Amino acid sequence: MNVMTQLPVGATHVAALRAEMPHAVLEERRQTADQITVTVKLESLPEAVAYLYYRRGGWLSVVVGNDERSIDGTFGVYYVLSMEEEDRCYLVVHAKVPEGKEEFPSVTPKVPACVWGEREIRDMYGLVPVGLPDARRLVLPDDWPEGLHPLRKDAMDHRFRPAPTADDETYSFVNDSDRETTVVPLGPLHITSDEPGHFRLFVDGEDIVDADYRMFYVHRGMEKVAETRMGYDEVTFLADRVCGICGYAHSVAYATSVENALGIDVPIRGQAIRAILLEVERLHSHLLNLGLACHFVGFDTGFMQFFRIREKSMMLAEMLTGNRKTYAINLIGGVRRDILGEQSSRTLATVRELRDDVTRLVDMLVSTANVEGRVKGVGILDPQIARDYSPVGPLVRGSGHRRDTRVLHAFQGYRLTGLDINTGDGCDVLSRTLVRVNEVFDSISLIEALLADTPAGPILTEDFTYVPYKFALGFTEAPRGEDIHWSMTGDNQKLHRWRCRASTYANWPVLRYMLRGNTVSDAPLIVASIDPCYSCTDRVTVVDVKKATQKTVPYKEMERYCRDRTASPLK
Amino acid sequence: MSSLPTVDQFTPASGIGRIDTPADIARMKASLLKDIQRSAYVYRVDCGGCNGCEIEIFAAITPLFDAERFGIKVVASPRHADILLFTGAVTRSMRMPALRAYEAAPDPKIVVSYGACGCSGGIFHDLYCVWGGTDKIVPVDVYIPGCPPSPAATIYGFAVALGLLGQKLTAKTHVEGENERVAIAHPTVPYNLRVLVEREARRMAGYRQGGDLAEVFLAAMEAPDGRPFADRLAGLLRSTPDPRTREIFEALGGVITAAVGRLAR
Repeated sequence: MNVMTQLPVGATHVAALRAEMPHAVLEERRQTADQITVTVKLESLPEAVAYLYYRRGGWLSVVVGNDERSIDGTFGVYYVLSMEEEDRCYLVVHAKVPEGKEEFPSVTPKVPACVWGEREIRDMYGLVPVGLPDARRLVLPDDWPEGLHPLRKDAMDHRFRPAPTADDETYSFVNDSDRETTVVPLGPLHITSDEPGHFRLFVDGEDIVDADYRMFYVHRGMEKVAETRMGYDEVTFLADRVCGICGYAHSVAYATSVENALGIDVPIRGQAIRAILLEVERLHSHLLNLGLACHFVGFDTGFMQFFRIREKSMMLAEMLTGNRKTYAINLIGGVRRDILGEQSSRTLATVRELRDDVTRLVDMLVSTANVEGRVKGVGILDPQIARDYSPVGPLVRGSGHRRDTRVLHAFQGYRLTGLDINTGDGCDVLSRTLVRVNEVFDSISLIEALLADTPAGPILTEDFTYVPYKFALGFTEAPRGEDIHWSMTGDNQKLHRWRCRASTYANWPVLRYMLRGNTVSDAPLIVASIDPCYSCTDRVTVVDVKKATQKTVPYKEMERYCRDRTASPLK
Repeated sequence: MSSLPTVDQFTPASGIGRIDTPADIARMKASLLKDIQRSAYVYRVDCGGCNGCEIEIFAAITPLFDAERFGIKVVASPRHADILLFTGAVTRSMRMPALRAYEAAPDPKIVVSYGACGCSGGIFHDLYCVWGGTDKIVPVDVYIPGCPPSPAATIYGFAVALGLLGQKLTAKTHVEGENERVAIAHPTVPYNLRVLVEREARRMAGYRQGGDLAEVFLAAMEAPDGRPFADRLAGLLRSTPDPRTREIFEALGGVITAAVGRLAR
């Protein structure tokens, strides 16, 4: 009908960019059928990203910095955009920052979603984003020496540990409110386990006026070790350990990125097995979050029940991979274990049981009178804020946006399935919880469909060679949303650069807007609803600005208040 | 030959301030460890773990494994704790919060280092932003290894550490006999052919199941019953109900047919 439809995927976006900004595009490189990297002039970077983001239906996936001085004498900055409206593809905007003049124009004033990525590039490479309003560190600890940027190739050995200099934290928290507020710090140690993080709630009475937080207490330096100590084919096992809950999603994303870069075709049976295991992981993760949602609204029976049935998904993982967590089953080119007949039938029997169990429990949950009262209308994520910050997963789907990597950029075994996207339009905690409930049932159906019709053939290919300086993206839909990895091979069987962006990284920046206008007692519930693995803290210090007094409230008291909502500890 | 620098060379000369246990506290602690005779309250300190350990601790205290039946209870404040459970490789940012939690717990406290990262730093042991394990900052009494340890291993670790079960490990030692020799597997199958079969099995079904299936296949093929190869293969296929396993056996049969074909040429 139209000859234009014969164009390669993504070509319309590049053509539009060239038309909008003549002379800005220097080079165009294609990594796979649906991944294009466009090099633009450094001064055109903000306009190019903003144009693609707001006018062409792009969402920011990740910002990558790279030390390419050994290749062409420059630092590379890459803004990865997921084009999700028409002509879906990943479009990467790349600009070169020359050595010696190490700064680039910040994109954040035009596209707020870039804020964390640019702060991270400043920490790790020492490239200055000119015009970035937030001058604080993001990743590096407070007492890390000034001017030492770990990911520069010539900066330091990966084992170098500067002596500790300060026992106090010096991070400053931002409060945008124009009235007097009380400060409620939470963390960094949490009660419900999970990674540490420090929150500051700025409150007026019971109402949260603003909030800020400091993460990266868990920064270990994985990207550096992947580039130095480990071979490119060993990093799949390191990627498993990015996260203890959705590690497999990272491992698949990493393996895919290298496979895309080197042009490896993973056997179709291997792809299907990856998809099945990703869904098994989603089952355990979503059941965990549903349990926690019960816990935070004071419905502990539901919490224990969800954890009881969640064990079935853990045993499923153990049977299929040999491990309950940290599956360690991906190789570059395929997987390490097959699914034989008996495993297949046991899996089908287990997921059938799970479907019945979850149905019963969810009925119980929604018919418990006070649950809806606690979660409806709480923690609103405005769809426009979501559009500005590019959050992912059930969080953004609960605010009505149709974003699901499994459907929009079908990868691995998902190409074999006809999956639909679950969305909700309540924008609140309830909406996100219901999206997760529906996704549990989808996962069960997906596992059944993939097992009913698993493709034949091998599960692994070893028919490839390592090629230096090839790069590409790999992506998966983890339980919390899109995980995206950008890998570039080096020239020594290692990686030159590995950038791994976990889904929660994309979700934190919107949390502050979700907390505003709610009460202190709902804060743990709202934090849990983005499913940041877990939430909350072991103790809470309350600083009353007006009285200049300080009082420490045990976390348990805070959590009790979240459940009971009587006898405020702040009074 | 140049020698690689050791990790110690990258640790600050002034040290990072590991805490030691006074003698009287150590004595009290020893009796506690031997026989606690009451419930043990546990506080978790995450020093930068990936969450895998935390999630398995969670699994250990929820209905299926239910560590509370042994009196092991997780509490919300270090001030209530008998036992501090440290996970993670101790990141640079978490050193002070972890030390503050340690100071907050009453003596004599028992420190358990949990998971591969807690025990040794794990895969992250020599990175710039970690200190490489719990025992770099506080004295550790019990190590529970694993990545992550399973809930059963967690409960077992506690039970052994606290004398809750009084059970002892029973080890068995194999003493090699006078003329004992390890036999070669499948001596009648030519070595190169066996390698080809095993390689194909690994390609089809992975190292674990592929190894098992290659073993079954080779055992069936070398059984001394005098029938031709094709018959024996057909017999094996007939007795295999699972279509996927059949597919793999067919592929292995193909390897042998091809190898014999090459030999004939």
